[in-house]
Amino acid sequence: MIKKDPKGDTDSLLEDVRNDYRAFPEMGIKRCLQCGLCTSNCPAARHSDYDPREMVKMVRDNNPEIMNNPDIWNCFYCYTCGSNCPANNSPCIVNQILRQKILLKGENNARIYEFLAYGYSYLDFGVGSIPSDFFDGLVADFGQKYVELKINLEDIRHDLGLEDYNLKGEALEEVKSILSSSGFTSRLEEFKRCHES
Amino acid sequence: MSTTKSKLEKNHPLTKEEDTKNPEKVGVFLCRCGGNISHTVDMAKLKDSIQADFVGEFENLCSLNCRRHIREEIIDKELDRVVIAACSPITHLKTFQNYADLLNPYMVEMVNIREQCSWVHSDSAKATKKAIELTQSGVEKVKKAQALDKIIRQTEKSAAVFGGGISGITAALSLANQGVKTCIIEKNPTIGGNMVKIGKVFSPEKLAEECSLCILNPIINEVINHKNIRILTKTNLLRAGRRSTHFKIILEKQTGFVHEDLCISCGRCVEVCPVDVPDEWNQKMTTRKAIYKPFAQAVPDVYNIDLENCIRCGKCEKVCTVGAIDFNLKSEIIPLEAGNVVIATGHESFDLNKRPEYGYQRFDDVISQMDLARILGVNGPTQGELLKISDGKRPERVVMVQCTGSRDEKDDGKRYCSKVCCMVALKHASIIRERFPETEVVICYTDMRTVGMYENYLRYVQDKDIKLIRGRPGEVTKKDDKLVVRVEDTLERKPLEIETDMVVLSEAIEPSPGTMRIAQKFNVGLSQDLFIKEKHSKIKPVNTDMERVFVCGTAQGPKDITDSVSQANAAAAKVSEQIKSGTEAEPPVAVIKTSQCNLCGKCMDICGFKAVYRDEENMAIDPMACRGCGACAGQCPQEAIEIKGINDLELYAQIRGLLSDKKEGEIRILAFLDNVGYTAADAIGNNRLCYPEAIRIIKIPSINRIMPHHLMYAFLHGADGVLMAEYPDECMLEAHKAKIKELSESVKNQGIPSDRLRFYKAYAPHYRGLAQQFTRFFEDITREI
Amino acid sequence: MKKIPHKNILLFKSCLVNVEYPGVESSTRYIFDKMGVEYRVDPDQSCCTGLGYYYDLFDQLSTTALAVRNFYLARRSGHENITTLCSTCYAIMKKTIKLLNSNENARQEVNDILKKAGLSHMQYQAGDLSSEHNIFHVVEVFHSLKEKISKEIKLDLSGIKIASHHACHYCKVYPEDSITPSRNPMVLDELSSSCGAQVVDWYDFKKATCGAGFSQRFANRDLSLSATADKLLALEGEADLLLHMCPNCQMQLDRYQPVLEKELGRKLNLTHLNIAQLMALAMGADPYKIAGIQTHSVPLEGLLEKIKNKSPVE
Ligand code: SF4
Ligand code: SF4
Ligand code: SF4
Ligand code: SF4
Ligand code: SF4
Repeated sequence: MIKKDPKGDTDSLLEDVRNDYRAFPEMGIKRCLQCGLCTSNCPAARHSDYDPREMVKMVRDNNPEIMNNPDIWNCFYCYTCGSNCPANNSPCIVNQILRQKILLKGENNARIYEFLAYGYSYLDFGVGSIPSDFFDGLVADFGQKYVELKINLEDIRHDLGLEDYNLKGEALEEVKSILSSSGFTSRLEEFKRCHES
Repeated sequence: MSTTKSKLEKNHPLTKEEDTKNPEKVGVFLCRCGGNISHTVDMAKLKDSIQADFVGEFENLCSLNCRRHIREEIIDKELDRVVIAACSPITHLKTFQNYADLLNPYMVEMVNIREQCSWVHSDSAKATKKAIELTQSGVEKVKKAQALDKIIRQTEKSAAVFGGGISGITAALSLANQGVKTCIIEKNPTIGGNMVKIGKVFSPEKLAEECSLCILNPIINEVINHKNIRILTKTNLLRAGRRSTHFKIILEKQTGFVHEDLCISCGRCVEVCPVDVPDEWNQKMTTRKAIYKPFAQAVPDVYNIDLENCIRCGKCEKVCTVGAIDFNLKSEIIPLEAGNVVIATGHESFDLNKRPEYGYQRFDDVISQMDLARILGVNGPTQGELLKISDGKRPERVVMVQCTGSRDEKDDGKRYCSKVCCMVALKHASIIRERFPETEVVICYTDMRTVGMYENYLRYVQDKDIKLIRGRPGEVTKKDDKLVVRVEDTLERKPLEIETDMVVLSEAIEPSPGTMRIAQKFNVGLSQDLFIKEKHSKIKPVNTDMERVFVCGTAQGPKDITDSVSQANAAAAKVSEQIKSGTEAEPPVAVIKTSQCNLCGKCMDICGFKAVYRDEENMAIDPMACRGCGACAGQCPQEAIEIKGINDLELYAQIRGLLSDKKEGEIRILAFLDNVGYTAADAIGNNRLCYPEAIRIIKIPSINRIMPHHLMYAFLHGADGVLMAEYPDECMLEAHKAKIKELSESVKNQGIPSDRLRFYKAYAPHYRGLAQQFTRFFEDITREI
Repeated sequence: MKKIPHKNILLFKSCLVNVEYPGVESSTRYIFDKMGVEYRVDPDQSCCTGLGYYYDLFDQLSTTALAVRNFYLARRSGHENITTLCSTCYAIMKKTIKLLNSNENARQEVNDILKKAGLSHMQYQAGDLSSEHNIFHVVEVFHSLKEKISKEIKLDLSGIKIASHHACHYCKVYPEDSITPSRNPMVLDELSSSCGAQVVDWYDFKKATCGAGFSQRFANRDLSLSATADKLLALEGEADLLLHMCPNCQMQLDRYQPVLEKELGRKLNLTHLNIAQLMALAMGADPYKIAGIQTHSVPLEGLLEKIKNKSPVE
């Protein structure tokens, strides 16, 4: 039986998703046909238990269980699903919004913790970087050659006639100040605090 | 209001009363309505108060008995005009026009003292007073009435049917059988359309598949031999012009370099023609020659040269024993006059290359349902054997992909359901399971739409063991020698890769470019999905928004053969109705005084009924299409348009009458109601709801009829408020909005408080709303004064 | 077809091109210079945040506010045709402009952020830029110049079979904007055929993701690798070279191919190049000084050898 939500549409997951800035106005989540076309092409569905069609259904049904579903973290953000969706929905974007909501609730912070380094790099240089915590893993996979590339990068870039890409001086200050006004800097701290506590 | 009034008097040109001297005699017939009226209205007082040449009182005026009385009084008293004070003109005007048939019907005026008086007011004295005023106003109005001659338009007894598929053929045959000269215009070299190609048709009753050509052939034969039918194949529409009783149509018949009357269809030419061309009849799975006949039973039964591919080698000409081939033949321009037009131009199949992920172009064995129909057809490329195109072997499994291109919001998709493809897939599944039981059939569907009786057919095919998977495939790919369909079995929550030998795409139906071209030439409106738009999906399903142009079959939207045939018959019935009864138009209608018109075309732009058109040199209004709404008259800078049936003098007289004898402190509100509004007001009476006596109703065709000067006239003569209620036609919404703006502004400019003019959207069933509106308006004004 | 500019181009730097395949930028500049395309590289341009956005780290407003700053730089120098080397930058900036132009609240919030940051002069008004007319990917510029470029080709590529990987964030985020049909992307195929190569225009998983999946590569390595394997295995024996248009995809397929080969115990015989690198090489650029092939994981020397050994035109 479908229980009627006594609170009505206020704090409805579906409406939150539709109104999020990551969504686009014509996004057809309410019109989803549950046809499964998204799932049939989805790399995450192919290689894990994730099912974007079902995820959309749960959001549409305002089923909060979806927030605890570990499979949604398997999405590649490849946008394949939405590109052919006959209802002009985008499971990819719906998923992005869900993950934002989960993280902002302070849950699942372990998933973001290791990526914080990207944010700090941005604050330091105005350019993101591959999160340092993963570097050892990359070297294990890519081998010593990769370390050498990193060591010699400046020389290689010089040989190629390329300038330095890091921001400096006023430009860097501007970026920092934007990120502080936008709340990004405190967002990083908050993610950090949540995980460490 | 007195200051306003004096201001108005200064500004308004119509302050002087028109000459009311009228030598014509008016008789008034009062009806007691078996007590319905007389219980509330003091009939004696009413009778005494009316000033007319004759006033009589009757128990039941609509009874046959009274017909005699009315006739007698008209003769006796030499009456020229008649007022019937009784019930609603909506139900009874025709009756009384008929009873008074010694007079021109427009000399009969009805005053509704039942629904607008005795049934809605309980205070007898007030009701009586109002009845007197309503009746007297009717007398004043009828004095200004103009006798109108019947507007006669004899639609020519002929029809042009565009499209020679099942719909066009059916419509043409029905018309021809009713004696209408009919011309079928077909762009292809043969009539028969898609139906001849599909081989088998499904039949829910018999639970079997029937041969389409066998069903169609007798009908086609009848068409060929019918004395009232002319068939023009290879013919396109060049131009279409509208006249008052017919269309002038210019056609171009493409030459096929063959004298159709000489060709004996021996086929020798084909044997010598060196050019191979992919054969459309077999969905390009086989080839034909540059000179060809589409299929054995093609009509007309002649060969044609396909000009695009012919290399002009002349070999065929040499072998033709009857000299039918002639490379000097030219395309022919054919003028045609037709009273009516039926658009039956059918549909086309969705271009499957717009869904490249399904590999229609990439893989030989990914085919469309139409391709499969040809493969399963005994006259098709494999003589009806189910074989793969790639290697000529029997497939072990066939997977069908439903909704290809349909029910798809993406830019190049079709948003609608194509309606037939579920049944087509089932039909083919049934044939395959019956004739090639070793082949498995899997249908991947989004929803199985087998509406109505077709559900029986679904069950019948399910019993033949087919596999249904609920999911829309994302792609078709190839691994080694097998095709692979990627789909989620949504009921199992499981992404699948189905290996198969053949994939059949259930392609969407889409409007053909030919349909759009014809629509544009006849100025017929299209729907959002670019099919021909019917005038009203419920009550006018075969009319278009253009008078005397009808539509049937898939040109109007996806549908199966059964529905196409019913619609074709309906279109034929409508054409013949037009021919037989479309001879007399009911006023009100607009008429253009050609001498005054400067051809600016403003009337044509505003008329949503498309009644206005440009004749050879004049503007003209088709009385059959015109609703007399008056929008055009409001637009015309030359005042060249007159609305017959509700002229200005009548309107003034009625306004004046309804406002006469207004006592100090009394409130009067005029309510201008269109037909729907008036019906709602009648319903208020029928349900015995009450509203204030101050409300006085004037029936108009549309608020577009009302000009600012009418409003000013009303306010000047003592109206405290004016209400306009209408249910605007969809095609006139713009005009409606503009009119509201115009009238509101004129009121504002005259310094009349803006809430004294109110607009209301009437709905016939929501009469309570109208009653409330009346009461609230009255209360608001009372409070103000 | 949308109009592709050849001047007033802001060549938008990409974080991954910077550190993984800098040769993509130098090759692009090489081609632009030869073709007379007028462009600028702005030292003050910050990165698009795309990776962070898709790591779920960046919120929409921060990303948007930073983009508005970059738009300001572009406008200030009169280089409003922002042209990216990376598909993520491309889609992120399109998203930004669409949001800013259509959503008044978002625009207001972003302008407030800039104001608070003391950068009111950078504020964005609706319609300042258009997603369709101001944001391009370099392949679109190449594509619009392909006849001209084909005349400059110095190498004979007819002996190599080239397949393409069209980046998801170019084709699928805004399918209506891509210059060849998004359901059947052909930009790279058309470019390689104009360079005279044999084109493998379709293979299974052609439209599938590279497998990087932003956070998946790091947090979910095996899942990520399975998707990468789909693609690489489908290409086994089908092509000599896979063409790229996005540094993230290139990194995934080039750097993980040896990883996969190790797991499989066999070589896949496939190499990787960005379209800019291929075209620069074909126009005669130095492999190390311009194309920067020394930063690749799968060595390209063998492939170049094969090409060089064929008799070059001229
Ligand atoms: S999101 Fe789209 S593709 Fe996925 S099930 Fe819904 S309608 Fe189908
Ligand atoms: S974006 Fe996510 S849900 Fe959509 S197809 Fe890619 S992995 Fe699947
Ligand atoms: S009839 Fe069936 S297959 Fe055709 S569009 Fe409708 S649901 Fe889809
Ligand atoms: S605008 Fe109204 S009155 Fe005028 S022609 Fe059209 S329907 Fe008739
Ligand atoms: S609006 Fe008046 S003047 Fe203009 S075309 Fe119509 S009838 Fe003639």
